[in-house]
Amino acid sequence: MAVNLATLLAVVGLPFLAAALTPFVYRFLGERTAYYAAAVALACLGLVASLFGTHGAVSVEWIPTLDVSLRFYVDGLSLLIATLASGVGVLILTYSGAYMHDEPGQAKYYAALLAFMGSMLGVAFAADMIVLFLFWELTSLSSYVLIGHYQRAGPSMYASRKSMLITVAGGLFMLAGFLVLHAVSAEALGSATWALFGDGGILMPENAAAMQTALADQGLLVPVLALVGIGAAAKSAQVPLHIWLPNAMEAPTPVSAFLHSATMVKAGVYLVGRLRPLLGGEEWTAAFVALGLLTMTVAAILAVAATDIKELLAYSTASHLGLIVAGFGFTSFYGAETGAFHIVNHALFKAALFLVAGIVAHEAGTRALNELGGLREDLPITAGIAVIAGLGMAGVPPFNGFYSKEFLFKAAWEYATVHEGVAFLVPVVAVFGSIFTFLYSIRFVAMFFGDKPDALGHVHSPPAIMLGPPALLATLAAVVGIGGVTATFGVHLEPLETFVASVIQATGGELGGGAHAVAASGAAGAAAAGSEFTYHLPTSRESLPAATMSAITIVLGAAAYTEYDALHARLDELISGPLTANYYYDGLTDGANPFSDRVRNAVQTRRLRTYATWTLAAFVALTLGAYAAAEVTLALPVGELLPVTPPKLAVWLVLALAGVGAVMVVRANSHVAGVLTLSILGFMVAIFYILSKAPDLALTQLVVETLVLVIFLLVLDRLPAFYGNVTRSTALRDGVLSVAVGATVAITVLLATATRPDSIASYFVRTAYPEGGGSNIVNIILVDYRAFDTMGEIAVVSMAALSIITLIALRERGETQ
Amino acid sequence: MTEVVLAAVLGFLFAVGTFLVLRRDVVRVVWGVSIISQAANVYLITMSSLGGAAVPFVSAGGADAPATVDPLVQALVLTAIVIGFGTTAFALVLTYRTYEEHGTIDMLELADGTEEAETNGAVATDGGADE
Repeated sequence: MAVNLATLLAVVGLPFLAAALTPFVYRFLGERTAYYAAAVALACLGLVASLFGTHGAVSVEWIPTLDVSLRFYVDGLSLLIATLASGVGVLILTYSGAYMHDEPGQAKYYAALLAFMGSMLGVAFAADMIVLFLFWELTSLSSYVLIGHYQRAGPSMYASRKSMLITVAGGLFMLAGFLVLHAVSAEALGSATWALFGDGGILMPENAAAMQTALADQGLLVPVLALVGIGAAAKSAQVPLHIWLPNAMEAPTPVSAFLHSATMVKAGVYLVGRLRPLLGGEEWTAAFVALGLLTMTVAAILAVAATDIKELLAYSTASHLGLIVAGFGFTSFYGAETGAFHIVNHALFKAALFLVAGIVAHEAGTRALNELGGLREDLPITAGIAVIAGLGMAGVPPFNGFYSKEFLFKAAWEYATVHEGVAFLVPVVAVFGSIFTFLYSIRFVAMFFGDKPDALGHVHSPPAIMLGPPALLATLAAVVGIGGVTATFGVHLEPLETFVASVIQATGGELGGGAHAVAASGAAGAAAAGSEFTYHLPTSRESLPAATMSAITIVLGAAAYTEYDALHARLDELISGPLTANYYYDGLTDGANPFSDRVRNAVQTRRLRTYATWTLAAFVALTLGAYAAAEVTLALPVGELLPVTPPKLAVWLVLALAGVGAVMVVRANSHVAGVLTLSILGFMVAIFYILSKAPDLALTQLVVETLVLVIFLLVLDRLPAFYGNVTRSTALRDGVLSVAVGATVAITVLLATATRPDSIASYFVRTAYPEGGGSNIVNIILVDYRAFDTMGEIAVVSMAALSIITLIALRERGETQ
Repeated sequence: MTEVVLAAVLGFLFAVGTFLVLRRDVVRVVWGVSIISQAANVYLITMSSLGGAAVPFVSAGGADAPATVDPLVQALVLTAIVIGFGTTAFALVLTYRTYEEHGTIDMLELADGTEEAETNGAVATDGGADE
């Protein structure tokens, strides 16, 4: 079924519109703005739901000269991300209603969350590289605002700056990659395009193979892979760019649950999944399997070293994103299954766990792991949610995370058996990382069990509005898990399986590995490659290796758990200094700070002359630089001055007098003398206008000049006689700049008058009388053709008059109020 | 045609205006801005063809379009003159108010006064502004 353009525009535009209206809504609703925002999210979810079953691209022209359009595309992958953004959005915004009670800056908070949701929906549906980049950076911006929610707190500012620097810089890498793709598309497809999908889009099945061949031929496949990979890695917190994510936990917990676990960080893996059909191949697998497994393992180890529950979840998020990246890294069908299915599972259990962490922090007043224990007595429902979600995260059967991790093991094992040798490291690393995943998951759940520390006191039950969203997420996670059990006996969770199958198809399914097989996997080949997706408990013979890997993980994990505290302490000690990526980030930013201070001190002295000097010097440098770059030739036709005719002589005389007036202004030894000589200059300009056949200008100039003289004399009467004597060295320095400015202007005039640019004057001359009904063309232009300009001019003069009244007459009143 | 004389005069006027803008006396700064805007207007008019063509008027019938100077430039400059008047008047009154508030029209003293008033002394005094 074709896609409805209006629906897509509505689903992307509505959150932004609602965000713009939030300040007004907040004025009326106060803290209940949360439910307004949740309603908007619900409307978006409804619109996204109405898109299910449709497929295809639509576009609206945006910048036709650059071939940039608002192109949108709907398929399984975009629907998945959009459903997460709007669906989790509904829950998070509802939850915020209780969580943000009595918090500052709520209007900003909800506006930013809504804007973020719109950006994320934009990322999901964008089918144009420029549009995708735009929404991509918008998510970074709204994330910056939300992480820095507590504007007065140092750690909050540090965290938001860090995330901004890393994710936006990553976005620029991605843009560079897109530029390369754009350039290559000219050769591969006949005409350069920004489109991913739609007519001539580079991801269209019929074009992907040509694109990949062209990229490989020009040796650009690896550079594009690297550029896009860095963009995705920065956004999805892949090692070593993961460091912003733990700091981002400074944001209010609903934000962490929404942006930094369920949605925004998925943008990176979305990009990887999106480009998999285009770039997939040996280099792709080498890059992304390595990156993903490294992140999965390192971040899981860091999570074990974490002491704060949100920090633990943050590292865990990076780790699971690594798992998804690794999944998409494999070119096998199992790989696509891993990535697609784990996006769903991770969003369900991780968002639930973050909301659980929010409840614990809110009710127990601490987030330190060693201060929490035995919470199940006071928070029984929360404990239930944590167990379901936590075991899913650990990958314990039959909870939801188990199935997607099983696909990873299958993909890893298959890769190892095909490539042999060193490739067997892949399943080993996967199991090694998973052991740490198991460890920290159990540690998180364990805070609900055991003895309750005395210092904790009584923990209140959370309000229902905070319990509902995580309960719903955990229920869904449980349903996915049970679906796997029933599927073992032949009862499948059809809608989910069909949906995941469509996501797998969007990410290319099984890639042949070579450039030509890619095309086949896109459209017609997708069905042949097996677009069926089912998941169930391991029963068959071929699932034996993966099941064994899971068993090893759980057994070793359970054995290691008894030594958790020792392990935690040892790791915590080990991870410091040059071993951490933070060491380099802080070194870099701290190193840059003195430089920024020096620049600021040089540029911002609070003195007009400093500002004027920089501005004018920049004007001179840029203008002359541009002339030099354009290699203009400067003619000085002194011969044209001859013969000297009376009209010419008159102009020269007037100009000479104006120049003399200007000199006298500088040399004036009193304010009054200066003003009078300034008037000489002004009246000479008026005469110049007469000689230039501009009678209207001359009249205006005479009136204005007279008025200015009067105002000057009135004001000077009240001012002290101050002339600021100039020292020789200052005069010399200012003189140099003045001469430079003057020379630049003179050159500009020479260049500008040497050519005669096309003039639209004849149009006004021709039409002034027939259409304007007057014979004075200048007047007709002012009151008719450009009447709007004239209105602006009147507005400026009235504004100046109002300001003058305010400055003089209302002085006392302003001070006392 | 290339306007050598005008180029020289305009360059000179801009140089004088720049020199005045860099002075300590606020009144002189206003003069400088005023001279620069006058010069900019003259520059624009220079572009509308100085010699030869007629005043931009058409006869009542308007049947034949005479070769006039560019009327559009004149309309733009007319707007600019009036706006220049508004800003000059505003700048002068601002000067007056500044004197009332701070008791000085010395740019240097004004900058130092602000600096003392601020509690953070992070702004250094170097920057080539020691007149």
